[in-house]
Amino acid sequence: MRQLIFAIMAFAMLASAPAVAQTVGFAEAIKMLGASCGKDIETYCKSASLANNGITNCLEKNKAKVSAKCNADRVTVLSLIRERLAAQASVAQICSRDSAQYCKGVKEGAGHILRCLLKAKPSVSAKCNTAIDLAGYR
Amino acid sequence: MKTYLLAGLSAAILAVSSVGAAAQTKLNRNEIINSLQGAQQEVDLTADQMQKAAIENIRKYPGANSPHDMPLSAKLATLRQFNVEITFEFDSDRIRPDSYETVGLIADALHTPYLQGQTFVIVGHTDAKGPRQYNLDLSIKRAQAVREALVTTFQVPGQYLFAVGLGEEQLRDPSKPDAAVNRRVQLINLGYK
Repeated sequence: MRQLIFAIMAFAMLASAPAVAQTVGFAEAIKMLGASCGKDIETYCKSASLANNGITNCLEKNKAKVSAKCNADRVTVLSLIRERLAAQASVAQICSRDSAQYCKGVKEGAGHILRCLLKAKPSVSAKCNTAIDLAGYR
Repeated sequence: MKTYLLAGLSAAILAVSSVGAAAQTKLNRNEIINSLQGAQQEVDLTADQMQKAAIENIRKYPGANSPHDMPLSAKLATLRQFNVEITFEFDSDRIRPDSYETVGLIADALHTPYLQGQTFVIVGHTDAKGPRQYNLDLSIKRAQAVREALVTTFQVPGQYLFAVGLGEEQLRDPSKPDAAVNRRVQLINLGYK
């Protein structure tokens, strides 16, 4: 049994290896919340709003009553959103050498450096290009 | 090792859910980006002016329906923009779960370098059923609800994002004032400030 689980995991890792996108967009993540928790939201979170993680917070408060699928997925959704935000936050640092080298003199802020890095993709380091992919910036 | 397992797992989730999505999702992130990018460097218009124009239109031309489009409409038509449908609970600013994905798509688009640093207005519109002032107030609340979700849960930078409600003052199809096509959320690019 253990071997089987390992085989499945190994397969999952192999299958995901060529695709760099190991983080998921916000739409993909939050869609799962609507699909898995729609009914529970209508029942227990009638007055909660999507802002400030209001829906996931409300579902957490009502976790004893919420369906098993929703309980599993609401946690996944939160971590997917967190992963994507972390990936975006890390780009500036991971790409700092590339920015200095290929985007010298480009105005800081307002996305100018990121747009420069996108254009410079063929020269930019693999590390930085991967960070940009993981951030969903391409 | 743990992180590898997690990464493998989330990739698997992505694969499963994107197969399910392919059949029905028409709207995608790049469509929003393509429609919104390429704004003029400076647009001589603010969210505040848009809001005031709608309020003024009701005050100046009261009645069940506005006799004509509001003054800024010609200018608005020249700007980079995109319409999405977001469904809300009846008489409420609460976004329905079936529209979460659309809000997420807007977040995905606004986070990209293509749109970063430009100012956007989220504009709420209603159809012409019901009193104009009521529709205006509801559309303001709904636009704000979308903005709040984007700025907090999805951390879109708030300094570039504004919410405006135009009620029924800017119908998409004035020949069918009560039609569903008029109920929409519009994203407008006000360019680099």
